[in-house]
Amino acid sequence: MAARRKTPSRRSKAHREFVSEAEEILERMRDGLSDLADQQTNSGEADPEVINQLFRSAHSLKGLSGMFGLDGLGELAHHLEDVLDRVRLGRAGLDAAALGLLDESVALVALTLEKVESGTQDELLDRVAEVIGRIDAWARSPEPATEAAEIELDPAMLRALTEYEEHRLQENIRRGRRIQVVEASFDILAFEEGLAELTGAVREVGEVLSILPSPGEGDESQIRFSLLVATEIPPGDLEARLEMPGASVREASRAGGAPAVAEPTAVLASDSAVEPSLDAAPELTSLKSISDTVRVDIRKLDELMNLVGELVVQRGALARIARELQALPETARLAADLDKVHKGFERKLQDLQSGVLETRMVPLRQVFEKLSRVVRRLRRDTEKEVRLELRGADTELDKLIVEELVDPVMHIVRNAFDHAMEAPEERLAAGKPAEGCIRLEASQRGNDVVITCSDDGRGIDPAVVHSRAIERGIVSENAPLADREVLDLIFAPGLTTCTEVTETSGRGVGMDVVRANITALGGLVEAQSELGRGTTVTMTLPITLAIIQALIVGVADQQFAIPLNSVRETLLVEPDEVQRSEGRELLNLRGDALPLRRLGREFGLGGEDQSRTGKQYSVVLGLGDTRVGLLVDRLEGQQDTVIKPIQGPIDSIRGIAGATELGDGGAVLVLDVAALVEDGLRGGDSA
Amino acid sequence: MSASGNEETGMGPVNEPLAESRWESLARAAASGEKSEDVVLRREFVTFRLGEDAYALPIERVREVVRLRPITPMPRVPSAVRGVISLRGEVVQVVDLRGRLGMESAPAARTSRIIVLHGDDGAVAGLLVDLVRDVLRISEDEIRPCAANEADVVHSLLADGTKFVSLLDVDRVLTFDE
Repeated sequence: MAARRKTPSRRSKAHREFVSEAEEILERMRDGLSDLADQQTNSGEADPEVINQLFRSAHSLKGLSGMFGLDGLGELAHHLEDVLDRVRLGRAGLDAAALGLLDESVALVALTLEKVESGTQDELLDRVAEVIGRIDAWARSPEPATEAAEIELDPAMLRALTEYEEHRLQENIRRGRRIQVVEASFDILAFEEGLAELTGAVREVGEVLSILPSPGEGDESQIRFSLLVATEIPPGDLEARLEMPGASVREASRAGGAPAVAEPTAVLASDSAVEPSLDAAPELTSLKSISDTVRVDIRKLDELMNLVGELVVQRGALARIARELQALPETARLAADLDKVHKGFERKLQDLQSGVLETRMVPLRQVFEKLSRVVRRLRRDTEKEVRLELRGADTELDKLIVEELVDPVMHIVRNAFDHAMEAPEERLAAGKPAEGCIRLEASQRGNDVVITCSDDGRGIDPAVVHSRAIERGIVSENAPLADREVLDLIFAPGLTTCTEVTETSGRGVGMDVVRANITALGGLVEAQSELGRGTTVTMTLPITLAIIQALIVGVADQQFAIPLNSVRETLLVEPDEVQRSEGRELLNLRGDALPLRRLGREFGLGGEDQSRTGKQYSVVLGLGDTRVGLLVDRLEGQQDTVIKPIQGPIDSIRGIAGATELGDGGAVLVLDVAALVEDGLRGGDSA
Repeated sequence: MSASGNEETGMGPVNEPLAESRWESLARAAASGEKSEDVVLRREFVTFRLGEDAYALPIERVREVVRLRPITPMPRVPSAVRGVISLRGEVVQVVDLRGRLGMESAPAARTSRIIVLHGDDGAVAGLLVDLVRDVLRISEDEIRPCAANEADVVHSLLADGTKFVSLLDVDRVLTFDE
């Protein structure tokens, strides 16, 4: 469970920083691309700011790759930048081909970054070259013929425009917007603020095409700017909207009149000396960063969390000392003081703990956005019409859990798309709307986050699953199973959920792996389905793995910790209550047979057979609907614990998830409930 | 968490100053124009004992030496793996070197120590020994190959004056066959 990052990476710090920065850029690009695709389908017009942002990201990626000598990646980023530059300058339309190339390049960047982690990025050079080849081919296709629109504008102003700004100007004129000039003067010492305020106000109602300093009016303490603005509203309204006393608005006259034509078109045709530079984007206001967030390596947070965990352990020791002092009459008064201090310490420690936990939380948004990209691609590649509805993207989870969630959730959504969703005709014939709907919803419930994925597809037929399971020998033919139990078989290894094999889900992960992954995170996954109506898969996950509540149990002279979220109840068991059936021990739990495992025997602790020596406790472990009773000698209380990986020559031990420290500084092993339950059900003696 | 010294042991962070001096001598040699073949490479080993037998480990694999502390037994592991200890927030397996070499294990003694090793993949492991002696500095030509011992973890001997010390192959010590 917690042993995933046991081996500290040996990559250099600079290397890690490169990957993390590149990933951040990549994430921004993916966001940008998905925005573009949405805008394209909704309005047919791409937001120039999004294209600019993508262009800047590609540029940064190029620089970054160059710095780290990743030539393939740099070359790819360079070509990406090229495509985006052509689009933003209007030399190429943002058509399906361009979007496809962008999608593909970004996917390849992602793949390359993954390979960089292991230093094997050169394996991808062929693919990079191939994509670059296609970008080159695309770039050679003729530019869309655009007529230069005509506008009468101060030639000096027109001349100062960059190629990009000019393209935006043309584009806005073509779309029939009014071109206006906003002029304003600011105090030279504080112009940045004023200008930022003004451009912000203008952006609410239109696009700022260019910001140009104007010739001053004699006053040296003042600086004057002209903003070239495209908007739908008339100048008077714009001036009113701006509510800035110093700002004046006039219309840049918009006439098809002959005299003005010659000059602007001449400018358009001539190769303007002004390079389309990054700084030309209308943001020359401040170098101060706008964001007040910092990026932190998750390992640093792990370290902090460890420290908090150790403080929690020491607090336990303090409490014990206070109790012992209280028992002695001569120290009782001091002990009372110590107890007070301890209480205060405990409260602050809890605040600290939740504060650190909070910094590890990230919204599920990223996962959701990745999924919507996947669905969009699937939709493009298949005939199916499917809408993905996302709810609760702001729900927060521990960063590590979010990372581990991507693949399982992706698999579930792809399953819904590939197998549950019918073709449009089939849906219509069944009386459903042609467009199917997959709804992904997340919400917090107490210390858990519940994520459901529901579709309105064909549902799962329990009879089919049952017969398949019998075929594969997963269940015996005459075992009576409720529909719900049958449905649970879709998580069994070796059972394919689809009747026809349309293997678009190419991740090689079955639902059994999904369950294994979710269980490893201390979570549950269950399915409900109604034939013909749809399927819902529900995942319940703890908000964090960093600190868990554990039940401490004792067997012979050793203690073990059991994560409390998988403990359903505890029972006192008298020796004669234990029944035997086919060599397995059982307990009658309110009419149900509860399979029993003896932790002492399981782990070979102490020779004495506890079943004869006296009463024991059964800790009822639950995973989903499965229950297994674990017999232990003592229950020793609950405690907040930090699970640590076990380092050393033996890699993993079945039944042990990690270790934790309790008050006395010794290590206590944490049980791997999933493995114990599985072994318990199998009933065999694993050793 | 980052402090590598440990006042309990009296040995502190053993590797740094000593390991440095080897580089120093190399650097000095390079500066005075000698060819590197002419330089006698000196290496450092941590020496320790199991009963009367002397053993050594390359110092660069030793992170620290700590006193014996409570070891939590682990189930389902080879018997030479005694269990885990908690080491300033880390949980580390401890291998009883006697068990690993096929010897009887000894009762805990005042001199018992756990040598904390860097494993081959950055992971850490503890090695339980009877007594840690000191750091042995010898030149490369005083390392003699020898026939592998029974547990296949000793391939060379170090000449310490007139005595020989068995040099352990750390990676083999920490490898357990299924």
